[in-house]
Amino acid sequence: MGKSMASAGVIAAEHAAPRKRFLSKAWRTRLIGAVPPAAAFILFVGLWEIIGRQFDIPVFLLPKPSDILNAAIENWDGLLGALLTTASETVVGFLLSVVIGVGAAIVLASSKLVERSVYPYAIVLQTIPIIAIAPIIVIWFGAGTNAIVFITFLIGFFPMLSNTLIGLNSTDHNMKNLFFLYNATPLQTMWRLRLPAALPYIIAGLKISATLSVIGAIVGEYMAGLGGANGGLGYAITVAATRLKTPYLFACGLSASILGIGFFLLVNQLSKWLLSSWHESELAKEN
Amino acid sequence: MEAMRNGLTGQGRSGEDQAFVRMSNLSKVYPNGTVALNDVNLDISEGEFISFVGPSGCGKSTIFKLITGLSGHTSGELSILGLTPKEARKANNTSFVFQDHTLLPWSTVIDNVMLPLSLRGDSRKESRKEAERVLEMVGLRDYTKALPRMLSGGMKMRVSIARALVSKPKLLLMDEPFAALDEITRQSLQDELLSIWQQDRSMTVLFVTHNVFEAVFLSSRVAVMTPRPGKISNIVPIDVPYPRGEDYRTTARFSELVGAVSKSLNH
Repeated sequence: MGKSMASAGVIAAEHAAPRKRFLSKAWRTRLIGAVPPAAAFILFVGLWEIIGRQFDIPVFLLPKPSDILNAAIENWDGLLGALLTTASETVVGFLLSVVIGVGAAIVLASSKLVERSVYPYAIVLQTIPIIAIAPIIVIWFGAGTNAIVFITFLIGFFPMLSNTLIGLNSTDHNMKNLFFLYNATPLQTMWRLRLPAALPYIIAGLKISATLSVIGAIVGEYMAGLGGANGGLGYAITVAATRLKTPYLFACGLSASILGIGFFLLVNQLSKWLLSSWHESELAKEN
Repeated sequence: MEAMRNGLTGQGRSGEDQAFVRMSNLSKVYPNGTVALNDVNLDISEGEFISFVGPSGCGKSTIFKLITGLSGHTSGELSILGLTPKEARKANNTSFVFQDHTLLPWSTVIDNVMLPLSLRGDSRKESRKEAERVLEMVGLRDYTKALPRMLSGGMKMRVSIARALVSKPKLLLMDEPFAALDEITRQSLQDELLSIWQQDRSMTVLFVTHNVFEAVFLSSRVAVMTPRPGKISNIVPIDVPYPRGEDYRTTARFSELVGAVSKSLNH
């Protein structure tokens, strides 16, 4: 993969003559930029494989990359099912934390009195480690998807709340005066000024919550995961660990991080699109 | 109205009965004891263009805040067409231009200009027509779909002025609107503002500035303010008839008046 990328870059560079180029300039720069990290990755994995073989390290202690790959292929259906379960819990929990977090921030920001009386407790709640209250959540919701989604929601909720609240409260003073002078209602000021102005903050919150909610889902599955076909990655990891199926454990861990990265990139892309549609959307037409 | 048509300075005659804005013994003391404004007496008649000139801290922006109702006075009286600042604001007769253009960065030029109308619930179609009309006036008819960040400082200020004009205000309050612009842009905006205003002179304009040339060029009267405590130390009538053009800046009378205003500033 890394090699083909590198050679594609070289080919494109060599054919940079008058003819129409194979790849646009932006893509070539991107490909060339990807060469060093790809090379480092190949080197790292290769060394790992060689050291594993050379020193005959027991598989249950440190499986070689090839062992991990084999374990993933052997348990492909289980792994994919677990990944999908965790992904759906992550998405539902994340969406809940976004909707409720932003909604709660709007309520808090609408009234200084409400904010002053409730926000300190929100911060106190935030400092409670979720792991510590997870058993209570399991008691309340019962083991299974509901509890896991709730734990995911809880972990993603506070960054959304506090970021949105800071955003809503840092609206430009002159702009607020303007809305006041033109007799805007509080609702108009919220929807047409404060909320759009808070968008960059909300997006910062989205990025934090996106990564946290993957962690939340896996922690939730540790605590409240049900077995069987619908067990998520967290459950698969606990099972693999107790049975010393270390290669599969690694495969699950890697899948979880791929899920995390993928989810983050998705939210990142969404954020870029949201902000750029404000700032740049009309740029092309007018220039 | 009649007084405005007749008198060039708009001063005196209408002052007694029909003051558009009346300040009597107006004072503002901040809670920490700072006297921002001390015993200001001024009647502004309809259709006047009055400037407040003075160094920073002389209370000229405080006058602006009191008239808008952003801040309350501590003693004396302030009425706008017989109404309190708050009532006047609710009547939707007043518009504002600040030093900062205060345009919504995520809204297009036309949406920004339509803002005062849409906030009070006017129909989108009507608002759009009005917005296009005022954008034409400030020479930005072709930029309706542009976003503020794509415009120069001067163009942003033009949009800001268009937004103030869109609601056909009776009173236009401008707080150092051109202070952040370069000299050339500033002069062309002064020309434009003046030509818009002198078309029918139906608007009363209160213009806060620290630029003497600007005040003398635009105004029918210049109120000179001095700091600590902020008060009006002198009122200089600018007895040059409207319509005034660009060439007014190069006349001897202009220099004389600038000299007179500057002199009273230094007292």
